[in-house]
Amino acid sequence: MPRKQPRLGWQVPLAEETFLSDDFVSQLTAVGEVDILVGLPTLNNRDTVQRIVNAIIVGLVKYYPRERSVLINPDGGSKDGTSEAVQAASIPDFRAVLAANPLRTMHVVRAQYAGVRGHNEALRMLFAAADLLGAKACALFSPDLESVTPEWLDALVRPVLKDGHDLVAPVYQRRRFDGLLVKNMLHPLIRAAYGYQVEEPVGREVAFSGRLASYFLGDESRREDFPGLGAYAWMTTAAMAGGYRVCQAYLGPRLAESRRSALDLNTAIQEIGGALFRCMELHQSYWISRQGCEEVPTFGFQPVLDLDPVRIDRRRMYQMFRTGVDQLGSILEKILSSETLQAVAEISKAEERHFSFPDDLWAKTVFEFASSYHHSAINRDHLLQALTPLYRGRVSSFISENARAGAEEVERKLQLLAQEYERLKPYLVERWNRET
Amino acid sequence: MDLKSASAGPVTKLPRPNADPLWYKDAVIYELHPRAFNDSNGDGIGDFPGLLQRLDYVQDLGVTAIWLLPFYPSPLKDGGYDISDYTGINPSYGTLDDFRDFLGEAHRRGLRVITELVINHTSDQHPWFQEARSSRDNPRRNWYVWSDTDDRYRGVRIIFKDTELSNWSWDPISKSYYWHRFFSHQPDLNFDNPAVREEMWKVMQFWADMGVDGFRVDAVPYLVEREGTSCENLPETHEVVKFLRRRLDDKYPDRFLLAEANQWPIDVRPYFGDGDEFHMAFHFPLMPRMFMAVKLEDRKPIIDILQQTPDIPENCQWGIFLRNHDELTLEMVSDEERDYMYDMYAIDAGARLNLGIRRRLAPLMDNDRRRLELMNGMLMSLPGSPVLYYGDEIGMGDNMFLGDRNGVRTPMQWNGAWNAGFSAADPERLYLPLLSNPVYGYQTVNVEAQRRSGHSLLSWMKTLIRVRKSSRAFSRGRIEFVQPRNHRVFAYIRQLGNDRVLVVNNLSRTAQAVELDLKVFEGYIPIEMFGGNPFPRIGPLPYLLTLGPYHFYWFRLRRL
Repeated sequence: MPRKQPRLGWQVPLAEETFLSDDFVSQLTAVGEVDILVGLPTLNNRDTVQRIVNAIIVGLVKYYPRERSVLINPDGGSKDGTSEAVQAASIPDFRAVLAANPLRTMHVVRAQYAGVRGHNEALRMLFAAADLLGAKACALFSPDLESVTPEWLDALVRPVLKDGHDLVAPVYQRRRFDGLLVKNMLHPLIRAAYGYQVEEPVGREVAFSGRLASYFLGDESRREDFPGLGAYAWMTTAAMAGGYRVCQAYLGPRLAESRRSALDLNTAIQEIGGALFRCMELHQSYWISRQGCEEVPTFGFQPVLDLDPVRIDRRRMYQMFRTGVDQLGSILEKILSSETLQAVAEISKAEERHFSFPDDLWAKTVFEFASSYHHSAINRDHLLQALTPLYRGRVSSFISENARAGAEEVERKLQLLAQEYERLKPYLVERWNRET
Repeated sequence: MDLKSASAGPVTKLPRPNADPLWYKDAVIYELHPRAFNDSNGDGIGDFPGLLQRLDYVQDLGVTAIWLLPFYPSPLKDGGYDISDYTGINPSYGTLDDFRDFLGEAHRRGLRVITELVINHTSDQHPWFQEARSSRDNPRRNWYVWSDTDDRYRGVRIIFKDTELSNWSWDPISKSYYWHRFFSHQPDLNFDNPAVREEMWKVMQFWADMGVDGFRVDAVPYLVEREGTSCENLPETHEVVKFLRRRLDDKYPDRFLLAEANQWPIDVRPYFGDGDEFHMAFHFPLMPRMFMAVKLEDRKPIIDILQQTPDIPENCQWGIFLRNHDELTLEMVSDEERDYMYDMYAIDAGARLNLGIRRRLAPLMDNDRRRLELMNGMLMSLPGSPVLYYGDEIGMGDNMFLGDRNGVRTPMQWNGAWNAGFSAADPERLYLPLLSNPVYGYQTVNVEAQRRSGHSLLSWMKTLIRVRKSSRAFSRGRIEFVQPRNHRVFAYIRQLGNDRVLVVNNLSRTAQAVELDLKVFEGYIPIEMFGGNPFPRIGPLPYLLTLGPYHFYWFRLRRL
């Protein structure tokens, strides 16, 4: 268990809290210096984790047979036998898989983290491990995907190991209308503010360099508890703001084991949207003066499979939007400018078949929520809750307008949205800097 | 020509060391070529009188047996493995009397002598082959393997891929093809012919009568050919071995046979039979994995191969080695492992030959004393009788530009004087040029200089061998791996009765800490074997050790 380091008086004036357990350190000591560290945080993922562990190990043996590597599994206290499943994961005969045996010992290190504190704690352990072991490249995987293959590992690690990139964000092959929060809010907001065109800025399959891991570990902002998946938004934006080399890599379809594992919308906006707004505060000295927007290198092979669209109840979204605007008027008044609020109220009166939440209005809405979060116009949790019905309106509108559009057309529309965010960045800066 | 008309002359029986009939299990073997060791007559070529003059050195080194590379009359197209007279001495190396003198002096010093028995093939200059090719009716015709076509035994692999295109060669004299698994100038003998077996037994008797202690049998897996097989490791080959072993045991019960069978352990195992074939066989796959483990800094390759190594009969032993007169063979590794070895140890393509690396130990280890010590430490502590290649005990270098494997066969470097003390000849007359570069040249690396320093590699090797011989757990004990979490540390227990030795090797270039689970030895005191210092008593908790880069410990575990 984590414990306080005893104070040794003046001899160690900067004694710090130790947060790695003795057993974890002992396991890391046994592994020693590594080239590749793979992190797989788990929490009740028994049904999928074995397959993912095997995919990672095969990926390491297949693509990096000579590199020293370790797979670290921080577990948040699973009750369903996840740890046992990780331990039991094995490939009895690699020759049957790869027609070759691994040259090196395959290391799998298991450790516990306080699951209630979310991924933040697991990531902190992994950053510390990467720092301690001198890892050159680190990759993270989520434990609930059915679609992970050994190739994902190579796609993520190669740009770091072979091309000197510091952060590799994933590019998933998404089903149409899947990941709309990312595409309508997170991606265009980061793109406009931070100036990088990263398609999946909060992807859970991500790679980073050892030096970035050390930076993450030492960055004071890490000490904040970004809830849940918010830590991934922090990683991406911190790398951008820190001037690290960012790129992305095609992975493939992201098919989760169960929709049950997906966050409900309120939680997603709370965790990820909140984290992103907070990151904008932390990095404001960077992004406010940032001019323009650059594409980042994208590695790998882009799949063209057209997947079935995600089914979303557009009508229900529309109704929840209208109800929200109607009931949250007094809260929205404190968050949005009068012009924006009026425009939102206006569109909420439209009949469903005429309903549209236009790009510029949506971008302004998001910017004003971010600025109000910054100015603490109201309690921040309440602010994020108020964003949810407006987002539902935007999604309902987007689906309606693109119901018959093909994948390429949808992509073109999303590009236009992102450009609208970029065009309106001065508005964001002005709102952000406005005295309250 | 048969033995009655050979150049041998009468055989004189010499007194031999009295010892345990299982002496080979405790042996530390020193491999050398008379040509390369010491030249007594100033002709530029080492010889038996010269070797005799250096026996004090060999004895002082602490080894217990000398393995002589082929010294028979030969055209020398393959380092003497192309024999043209099995019972003679190549005149360049001396006479049979010189050999007898050498053998007697070696035995007087308690040193056993092992010679080469190249039975798979002869030179094409051997009188047997000359007779066999002279006509299809010649009585010796059936001593070799002939065919009117070159499509028999299709698919059998070619061993010397760099030089041979086929295992068949056309004989223009008898207008037929002859079979050869190695060079085309080395026709294979036909062991289906009982006369060949009898003749080989006569050869063995000749040398055994003189007092030779053992035979290293060359190219064992290839003795017999059968259609539709790989022509390797055939049951009929085992019959030949059993035949020779039976005869040897009956007449010379304390002599031994050592197999050269470059095969996987599971395929070598049958050559021990039920203790009625070979006494010893080289463990070829272990060797490259020791090199691999040190480069990978991971014990996995060594443990993997040792775990694949089957038990052998009680009266048998493995022969283990780091380097020898051939290339560092990479036949018994996977393609990935071979690529890795080439990339790590033979970036210069000139170092690659056939499926191997033609380099000596010191250059392979970048002349890093700590790595040299670690490798030799493992060699002396893993199961088997270790074989040292001449010159490696002083860290001699090589010269890959001499062609074939000659780069690892250069003259022994005795001192920094004329021709390294090897020969009084003009340097141009030496059979191979001496190494003269500033790092490995004889002015830098030589016996005389290292004798003067108690800290030299030579002095250290003597200590290593002495300590190795102080415990029979090394030579006859079983091995059990201690597998600590730290994979850079390779630890094992060698145990024979109450004699227990703990070996801990750091395969890494950096310092390592390791916790060893030694609960079963709770209460024992580890005594470091080189200095005799006791270490803290083993308790119920994991035993913590720290090791410097490439450092190793040998502890005798005492219950005191």
